[in-house]
Amino acid sequence: MTTPVDKAAARHANEAAIIALRPKGPPPRRGLPWGRFLHLFYCSLSYIFLLSPMIVVIGASLHGGEYYTAIKFPPDEPSFQWYWKIPGDQLRALGLSFLLAGATALGACVLGIPAALGIVRGKIPGKTFISTVFRAPLQIPAIVTGIAFLQMFYLVGDATGFYLQGTFWGLYMGHVFVATPYVVGTVTAILQRFDMRLEEAAFSLGANRWSTFRRVTLPVIKPGVYAGALYAFMVSFGDVPISIFLTAPGYVTYPIELFYGLENDFDPSILASASLVIFFCLIALLAMQKLVGLDTLLRSGSR
Amino acid sequence: MNTRWDLILLPSFVIIGILIVASQFIFLEGSFYKDLGLGRTGTDLQLTNYIRFFTDSFYLNTLWITVKTSGLATIFTLLLGFPVAYLIARMRSRWSMLLLAGIVVATFVTIVIKVFGLIIIFSADGLINKVLMGIGIVETPYTIIGNQTGVVVGLMHFTLGFGVLLLYSVIQTIPRSYEEAAQIHGASRWRMHYRVLLPLSLPGLTVGALMIFNMSMGAFTSAALLGGGRVFTLPVLIQRTVMMEVKYSMAGTLSAVLLVTVLLINLFSIILIRRLRSARLVIA
Amino acid sequence: MKHRLKLNRGLLGAAVLTLGVAFATSSTAGEFDGVTLKVATWGGSWKKNIETKIVPKFEAMGGQIEFVTGSPQSNLAKLIAARGKAPFDVMEVLDAQQKDFFVTNDFIQKIDTASMPNKQYLEDWQYNDWRIASWHTQESICYNRDKFKELGLPDPITYNDLSHPKLAGRLSIPDITSGGGLANVGAMAHAAGGNEANIGPGLEMIKRLNALKFWSRGGEVVTQLQSGDVYAAVVHSGWCVRARNAGANVMTAHPKIGSKVGVHKHGWLVIMKSSENVKAANWFLNEYNDADFQLEYARNSGVVPVNSKAISMLKSDPVLAEMLQLDPELIANELRVDYSKADISDWNDKWNRSVSGQ
Repeated sequence: MTTPVDKAAARHANEAAIIALRPKGPPPRRGLPWGRFLHLFYCSLSYIFLLSPMIVVIGASLHGGEYYTAIKFPPDEPSFQWYWKIPGDQLRALGLSFLLAGATALGACVLGIPAALGIVRGKIPGKTFISTVFRAPLQIPAIVTGIAFLQMFYLVGDATGFYLQGTFWGLYMGHVFVATPYVVGTVTAILQRFDMRLEEAAFSLGANRWSTFRRVTLPVIKPGVYAGALYAFMVSFGDVPISIFLTAPGYVTYPIELFYGLENDFDPSILASASLVIFFCLIALLAMQKLVGLDTLLRSGSR
Repeated sequence: MNTRWDLILLPSFVIIGILIVASQFIFLEGSFYKDLGLGRTGTDLQLTNYIRFFTDSFYLNTLWITVKTSGLATIFTLLLGFPVAYLIARMRSRWSMLLLAGIVVATFVTIVIKVFGLIIIFSADGLINKVLMGIGIVETPYTIIGNQTGVVVGLMHFTLGFGVLLLYSVIQTIPRSYEEAAQIHGASRWRMHYRVLLPLSLPGLTVGALMIFNMSMGAFTSAALLGGGRVFTLPVLIQRTVMMEVKYSMAGTLSAVLLVTVLLINLFSIILIRRLRSARLVIA
Repeated sequence: MKHRLKLNRGLLGAAVLTLGVAFATSSTAGEFDGVTLKVATWGGSWKKNIETKIVPKFEAMGGQIEFVTGSPQSNLAKLIAARGKAPFDVMEVLDAQQKDFFVTNDFIQKIDTASMPNKQYLEDWQYNDWRIASWHTQESICYNRDKFKELGLPDPITYNDLSHPKLAGRLSIPDITSGGGLANVGAMAHAAGGNEANIGPGLEMIKRLNALKFWSRGGEVVTQLQSGDVYAAVVHSGWCVRARNAGANVMTAHPKIGSKVGVHKHGWLVIMKSSENVKAANWFLNEYNDADFQLEYARNSGVVPVNSKAISMLKSDPVLAEMLQLDPELIANELRVDYSKADISDWNDKWNRSVSGQ
């Protein structure tokens, strides 16, 4: 995915610096205080754009009224009552979504890491073709993947008697399919910067292949793996267009449960469970920051 | 060292390859049967559905709106996302992780829910309209619900998180020292961005832009929920065709057109960027 | 389907086990021991009503009810997708789906009306060998009284009254894919001089009304009615009742269409051909028409009962009596779209073309 990044970085670095050296026009106004201020202002606008709907959602989830069918913000008499009234279906769907997203992240790693290793290190013809194939699921529109998998499952089902639509594994296949390219991409990016002499050294010191991989290679590609897994998790957790075709009655992911649940009535407990997801993710991310250090987790670049 | 790296790639390649070929073949084939509705199709292979698509301005317009909204969403996501990604990537304090977490968490909330927040924010008596009408920018309340702007905003909410994360990792690969060198040698902030940062991140930016574009082309929730039932993108039409009318082969045709469009645009952009890049090298 | 059944059976086994433990103490062997009845219906308050009234009764008899949530249209898609083996036993269908369900009877099996004492409260046409009525809704105009007063507009009587320039961009009209979509398209076609075979005039009128949006999720309409985004919406009266309950000063207007007043949409219950829980399914159909349940439905969802006893009991509820048409004569004079004359696929196509240009 980021194959060209480094080459380009290397190629352009010097030229760019040199170009920048040539003084042109009026003397530079360095350290302009409001250049930075403008940047910060601009970024806060981005954040307002991104976060404001969520603030409304969290705020409205505190609505205190007995029963209502419309969203109200700011809420009258704040209360947590709707948090206790989240129906079992939503919790079950949330459980399935978390399980599915976790399993998808894992599956994407299992498929993606060897793929990345092979692409970067294998001495095989048609590498471009191979990496194109691994990138393809990203280029197929998600809704096309959904409907194509559905029809594939029918056909396979008619032939073998095993219908995969509406099963966990059918859903899982669809999700892993779209999530794998992310892991391939992030791990490939890291591997291309990786100094293979490290491995050779370990190998020559008598370590076997597996322990070389485990002790040397894995720690190095770890940030890429984490980043890829995070993407995979996010893709799976938020997916609607694939899941809408592959889920079955009584067996739906969280976004689909909401999509259909909201077709009829508005239920404030939906806002409550969505807020719970926000808090849960925030806590999970902060915990990961404390435990493994998110910075290293996502810092896939060399500095 | 003779580890056969090419061999360990094989299982993944076979699995992904089979899934691509099998799924795409079946639905592409299905799209060549005449659609009789309610899940029934004709038995002869023919081009009926495709002819219908390409001779009907309604379908062609739908395709155009899909490309347009996705393209706009991509541009605006990059415009909003790049400065944020740059800020986080270059921040030295612990706050950077909190900022990043904010982006990630926002991505975890599905648009199915966010749309309620957006309705409130953009409501006639809502904050934005009060401000806009207060300053006198608009006379009648402005809404994003039920028009293409809403669809673009929805798509941005869907892609911005991914965009920032991706750009973040791209900017990370550009050593800070280059920028410092440029600045020490007297380049202004804007010049540095334009002459150093942009060219260096261009390849990563292209990949990111295409990813965002592809995601938008395949997403239907935003258009379905924010389009107010009148913005028809191909994904919306596909979902309606399958879930409401149960016409599988017509949906297959719509999907095939969408797929080919996306692939062509990807191919075209990559070629274009390669051209641009070699041109730039010559100039430099 | 084998695979899925296996998975479900696992879940089910666990559920049955816990239930078994719970019931072992009370040890009342029920009529429906071990039966899981799957009901396809809408989510939200729709489902909640069944959960509060019917589910406890069924559980007391040893069974369990699971829900397949979705609109009747999307549930039909699931039915076709499952290729004959329906993923549910009982399904709510709309009158608009009559061609899909009642003309060929491909998907459904005969029901046992003899086992349904509650049918005595129904009219003769509301049940036969294949189906039984479940509720009806009154598709109407829900308008904000404060706003109309503020703008100096009279209370609306016909759809055409909504075409006032002051209401432009302040209306919400049902999308054709929403539950009331087809009923309203048909009604508007009649109101504009067309009919089921010619919906063009109706679509022209919708264009003229210049709606803010075509809604597909009722919760959004209520939110927008309350926030003041829309001044009037074409919805079934139940949504208007819910908007009133949410605090908006709204009122229903049952549109005058020729000599008819109001629009009637009918819901039906059917038992799927592949269902093996026939007895439980028939029991469910009867319970659905129980006066107590129908009353609950009406109060929470603003849906009009079909049970005549429940209808007359509703008259004592001030809000419902004000907003719904509860007199049998008024109900009988509501417009009923004749779907046997309609080509729904054509409607969908025409609708898409008409609204996408707006």
